[in-house]
Amino acid sequence: MAELDDAALEPRAERFEHYLDALLAGGRPSPDDIEDTDEAEMARLAAEMSAAADPEHGAPDPAFIEQLRMRMRQADEGIAAVQEPLPVRPGISGRAGRVRVTRRQLLAAAVTGAAGMAAGAAAMTVVRPVQATEGLIWDDGTGLVPSGFDWVSVALVKDVPEGGALRFSTPAFGGYVVKLNGEIWALSSVCTHMGCTLQFRTDWKDLRCPCHGASFNLEGQLANGRTGWRRNGGYRGDQRPYAIDLPDLVRPDVQVRDGHVLVKTPHF
Amino acid sequence: MAEPDDRPAAEPGRFEEIYDEQVVSIYRFVYARVGNRPDAEDLTAQVFMRAVEQLDTTRDRGQIVSWLYRVSQNAISDYWRAFYRLPVIGADQVAPGWEPAQPGEVRERPAEGVAATQRVRKVLEQLPARYAQVLELRFLQRLTVAETAKQMGISHGNAKILQYRALRKAALLGDFDG
Repeated sequence: MAELDDAALEPRAERFEHYLDALLAGGRPSPDDIEDTDEAEMARLAAEMSAAADPEHGAPDPAFIEQLRMRMRQADEGIAAVQEPLPVRPGISGRAGRVRVTRRQLLAAAVTGAAGMAAGAAAMTVVRPVQATEGLIWDDGTGLVPSGFDWVSVALVKDVPEGGALRFSTPAFGGYVVKLNGEIWALSSVCTHMGCTLQFRTDWKDLRCPCHGASFNLEGQLANGRTGWRRNGGYRGDQRPYAIDLPDLVRPDVQVRDGHVLVKTPHF
Repeated sequence: MAEPDDRPAAEPGRFEEIYDEQVVSIYRFVYARVGNRPDAEDLTAQVFMRAVEQLDTTRDRGQIVSWLYRVSQNAISDYWRAFYRLPVIGADQVAPGWEPAQPGEVRERPAEGVAATQRVRKVLEQLPARYAQVLELRFLQRLTVAETAKQMGISHGNAKILQYRALRKAALLGDFDG
């Protein structure tokens, strides 16, 4: 490493501080803030030092331990063939207006959808029967190519609370119907970080990820990220900002017909 | 009470037993090397989800523990490859299938807590005083850059540069992770 003067170092030091800032705030640092191999060494040293200096010595979150246990149990009980997606960096997934359905989401939706149908078939009126997932053939690994689309009724307009969100599930994906200032739209319930299922919190009017605590507003934008945190001086009882930027939630196409909210759903 | 038992040899629930016994150690092992909770959770999840698919639970305990640490180490290496801009090699290629422990090999986890704190102390001792101070304020006392700058009586910009130089120097000292 050649010695550099302060002026030459300033932009590097500035960017490296982004890495340190995320790391020391307990967030997820990005490799994008690392310029070269020397800085990678520095980042690794900083990560190890930060862990070592952690007063809790890396005690895991009990909620995480329980959640992973449930995932393992499910996988062990027969969904074993379904691959969990690897962590996705922001910017890779989530093109607006398009729902990319993974095999896992499809199976998960099929499972919860079947349970949901049994529990309350009246809540979901399928306008046109959607092909059963049994006997599907798909390419391994890659996204599915839909063979067509259906408009599926997921809710009655009168059941969607103003300023609130109503959960729905179709055989292809799950989401929420949102009504705000008289307008209706739908949001995917798949967190754009790792694909966990978002939960609507009535008290906060947001969609919260149980995995790492991202909160999305009813427009589908990350609400507790660092930008919003700086602007609003915090977020609803959270102790720190969510450390990384996430793409907006996917917005499936929606139409209202005869008092039903219809969501455009791919079939395969 | 005799009941017909046509289950396979590996008892159901065996994964959970292994999980309960190992998950905290594996998490700490990963956390000590990536330094943040979200990534440590992701990697720990990867290890155990892989275990559900690939781990032969009829193996003895030592071999199972050995397998878990090997897969964890590979996941950590892949994680850092992104920072070094190196191509990612899947853990499958690094540790194909099953790798039995070497005879006499002990794969218990090293004590992360106390030893790691001592390693930090050792690094700080080897650095010039100003460098040690800036790292201590930021990493041990967890001050922000602004607070660190104030404490040291320097500008915000200079604090960033100082911590950058300090880490650079510390990284040059090497063998932090032993």
